[in-house]
Amino acid sequence: MQGNESKGGGLREVYQRKMLEIRGAFEAGALGVATIAARSAAVDELVRGFWAQGVERDSRLGVGITLVAVGGYGRGQLFPYSDVDLLFLLDTKVVEKDVKDAIRRISQEMWDGGMRVSPATRRLAECEKFDGDNAEFTMSLMDHRYLAGDTAMYEKLAGQTVPKLLQKEHKAILGRLVELTGARHAKYGDTLFHLEPNIKDCPGGLRDVHVCGWLTKLEKIAAAAQKRAFIEIAEDAKEFVQAVEFLSLVRCFLHYRNERDDNTLAWQVQDAAAEAEVGLVGRRPKKVDAAYWMRIYFRHARSVERRVTQGIEQVRPAPKVSKLAGLVRSGGTKVRGRLVDATQEGFKVEQGRVVLEDSADGDDPANDPDVVLRVFATMARTGCSLGREAEERVSEALPLLSAHLEEGPALWHHLKGILTGEYAGRALRTMHALGLLELLIPEFHGIDALVIRDAYHRYTVDEHTFVLIDTLHGLETPQSGGMAEWAQRFGGVLRELPHPELLYLLALLHDTGKGRETGNHALESVRMAKSVLGRLELDSYESGLVLGSIEQHLEMSAALRRDIFDAETVRAFAGKVPTPEALKMLTLFTYADINAVHPDALTPWKAENLWRLYIATANYLDRSVDDERVGARAESELVHRVSALLPGQKAEVVKYLEGFPERYVRTRTPEQIRQHFKMTTQFAADPVQLEFRYAPGVSELTLVTPDRAVLFATMAGALAAWGMNIVTADAFSNRQGVVVDTFRFMDSFKTLEMNASEHGAFVASVHDVMTGNVSLEKLLSGRRRARRKAPKVLVETRVDFDDAASSHSTLVEVIAQDVSGLLRALSLTLAAQGCNIEVALVDTEGETAIDVFYVRRDGAKLDKEEQRVLKQALLEAMDENAR
Amino acid sequence: MQKIEAVIQPSKLDAVKDALVEIGVEGMTILEARGHGRQKGHTEFYRGREYSVDLLPKVKLELVVKDEMVEQAVHAIITAARTGKIGDGKIFVSKIDEAIRIRNDERGEIAL
Repeated sequence: MQGNESKGGGLREVYQRKMLEIRGAFEAGALGVATIAARSAAVDELVRGFWAQGVERDSRLGVGITLVAVGGYGRGQLFPYSDVDLLFLLDTKVVEKDVKDAIRRISQEMWDGGMRVSPATRRLAECEKFDGDNAEFTMSLMDHRYLAGDTAMYEKLAGQTVPKLLQKEHKAILGRLVELTGARHAKYGDTLFHLEPNIKDCPGGLRDVHVCGWLTKLEKIAAAAQKRAFIEIAEDAKEFVQAVEFLSLVRCFLHYRNERDDNTLAWQVQDAAAEAEVGLVGRRPKKVDAAYWMRIYFRHARSVERRVTQGIEQVRPAPKVSKLAGLVRSGGTKVRGRLVDATQEGFKVEQGRVVLEDSADGDDPANDPDVVLRVFATMARTGCSLGREAEERVSEALPLLSAHLEEGPALWHHLKGILTGEYAGRALRTMHALGLLELLIPEFHGIDALVIRDAYHRYTVDEHTFVLIDTLHGLETPQSGGMAEWAQRFGGVLRELPHPELLYLLALLHDTGKGRETGNHALESVRMAKSVLGRLELDSYESGLVLGSIEQHLEMSAALRRDIFDAETVRAFAGKVPTPEALKMLTLFTYADINAVHPDALTPWKAENLWRLYIATANYLDRSVDDERVGARAESELVHRVSALLPGQKAEVVKYLEGFPERYVRTRTPEQIRQHFKMTTQFAADPVQLEFRYAPGVSELTLVTPDRAVLFATMAGALAAWGMNIVTADAFSNRQGVVVDTFRFMDSFKTLEMNASEHGAFVASVHDVMTGNVSLEKLLSGRRRARRKAPKVLVETRVDFDDAASSHSTLVEVIAQDVSGLLRALSLTLAAQGCNIEVALVDTEGETAIDVFYVRRDGAKLDKEEQRVLKQALLEAMDENAR
Repeated sequence: MQKIEAVIQPSKLDAVKDALVEIGVEGMTILEARGHGRQKGHTEFYRGREYSVDLLPKVKLELVVKDEMVEQAVHAIITAARTGKIGDGKIFVSKIDEAIRIRNDERGEIAL
């Protein structure tokens, strides 16, 4: 016995020496994969030694028993402090209790050597069965390797038992594997972005690497059984191999540092790994800090996560039809009420996955930027995913795509389609993983896997951007839980946005400046965004809105940290958001930005404060319109831009702009203001100047004319006579008494939509009414009114006055049910009461009309009695109109 | 040991935190809260709808300090949080029987 013990001790000593050598080699720069292979080989020698000793002690061990390495050990991959998985395989003739002690002794010897052993004892027949509750055993069995004992029995295991098991149960095993992986990912919040990730179990970790291997094995068997082609991803795909090596190296580093099987990259470990430059190859900064090192980690983890997601998508059943509903509009066909393939030029969607068409005449659709971008727009709209082959082809085609990519409005059109799709986040993540997003927007490269290293930021900067976009789209559908009420309110604001695509563009670009280490990332982001917007050729209003919002994107969060009930806080913040549209964008952005910092960051408390600040600022903006006017010697950038469009006419431009509310100049592009100015130069020939812009949804008609009585009411009436439903309107006048009234309206009878030839007649008719050539009353009586539908939501009528909003006008705010003829009724009443409209702001929210007028009577504000009389008249007029 | 609970204006949180850190108090718990005392809420109108604020947003700090630190901590909070207007908040002080550090079972003042 003593001899055996000293032999065992001798084996252990040899093993310990080998471990020291392996560690020495690792610290001298050996690769992770080499280190774990070396430990595996050393354990082989030790285990075989103990086995031989065991057989010497008890010859029964030598007959009908096989020692098999399974799991990670079976793969020949043993991390420094990983468990050693052993399978003792027994022949049917072997009586288990006879060999139990001998088997236990071997495990004990290994424990004494400082190793953690996970032994299992099974008969061959048991290995043929799949137990869904112990799927882990079957997975470990898939990686088996002979160690010692009965070779014939091992050959049976390898040649018959395991293949038979996989053949018979591959579906069930696959299903269970997908389930277990999903559960594990869910345990980590379905994200690889953790401040202190577990590099084995987190999404993108080493466990996912193993899952990839098992999925491939099982899918191959499934494909053979179903007699279909199996497309194998090259296991030596460079990025994946590099990721595996990196993760292996890091896990070895963790084990040696912690001297146990601890796979958590805690903050101190991150610092140590950065200092030791673990896993870094090629160029790197002079000083590698933890944030830089973690960036490398996340890139590798993302590559593994991508691979495992692809693998799971391949085996998972197709998504439900409802997600693909959007495809019907783009050419999908229904068969027996179920959506079947949807086909577009260059690709189709099969079972929820995009499949590119084959190359024809040497032209691969993957090389066509138009096709590729439409693929991603389809993904964004419907939630379908990119098939494996399609992904590979797009990836390979990137250099050619780069050469053929067209910038300008065509690119913006595609990007818009992607950004505004309900599943935009999904499409953008795929584009980013493939390198396509950086092809379109190179400015995004600086924030790829960029880590903000503090206890608060959960995500890397790029992932934060995608989560932000997901949050915004999440407002489009009803939510449950504590945030449901706030999601509904902010969702309402989102629906009011005239240009939602600009909000998503703002979201995409707002943090691109974080890649530059200048301290003010907002300004850097503006710089980055300018070049992007220039390439997309957005007009100056759209560019101004996006750039202004990026520059101010932290202002609302900053204002929330002040006293939001203090008028000064609201005034100061309102100074940073020039228009209601900018305010809505910034509010929605701030809501989503907070939510995208950390899953628990946005609380109902914060959402309520944000809402309060939003409505206080919205009210302030409406109530300050009248007082904030363009001065006589305006030297603003806008004045310069308009003047630049009219060389030699700067003095006339300044004179034209003088006296207009600031709101007018902030909500128009320089080109539009130039146009209005030019219209005033035509007054001698025709004092009633009209500009009409038709659009299928909301058209726009602008009147530029010298001010006179009942102007606004007459325009409203002329539009009503044509069945136009006014959605928004504004009326401004300058110091010279020129009014610019703009009406945006929807065509209730679709007259203009169905008859392009009527556009001219429409404008001419309005012109005739405004010049008095045609009687409005006659026109109104001769035309049918739009049929009134019963309202879905009843709106309570309110008429309120505010004397303090303006220094020289009285603000009248009317909230009422939006019905045709309302605006005309209101403006006629105001005129009948002797009120001059200085400014009008007309808006519609669902079935609610919100009309704000700044009025004066005999050049002064309305006194209390005049307000009372006016209110009565307005209520009666609205009542009359409703009947 | 005594527990200090301070209900303050949210806009004063950063200043109060800094003031406490300056006197050597680093451990505290911060909770989002709503409430009112004599400071009444108000009503805001937006798009014809009434939004009344009965319970105003507040922040509550909770910290446990040694007996000899209590007055200093209270003074730091008051100085940093005071504006002089109704709604500044309140501070409550109560005795604590025991403090225990979960990680290593340290007890008493050493656990603070």
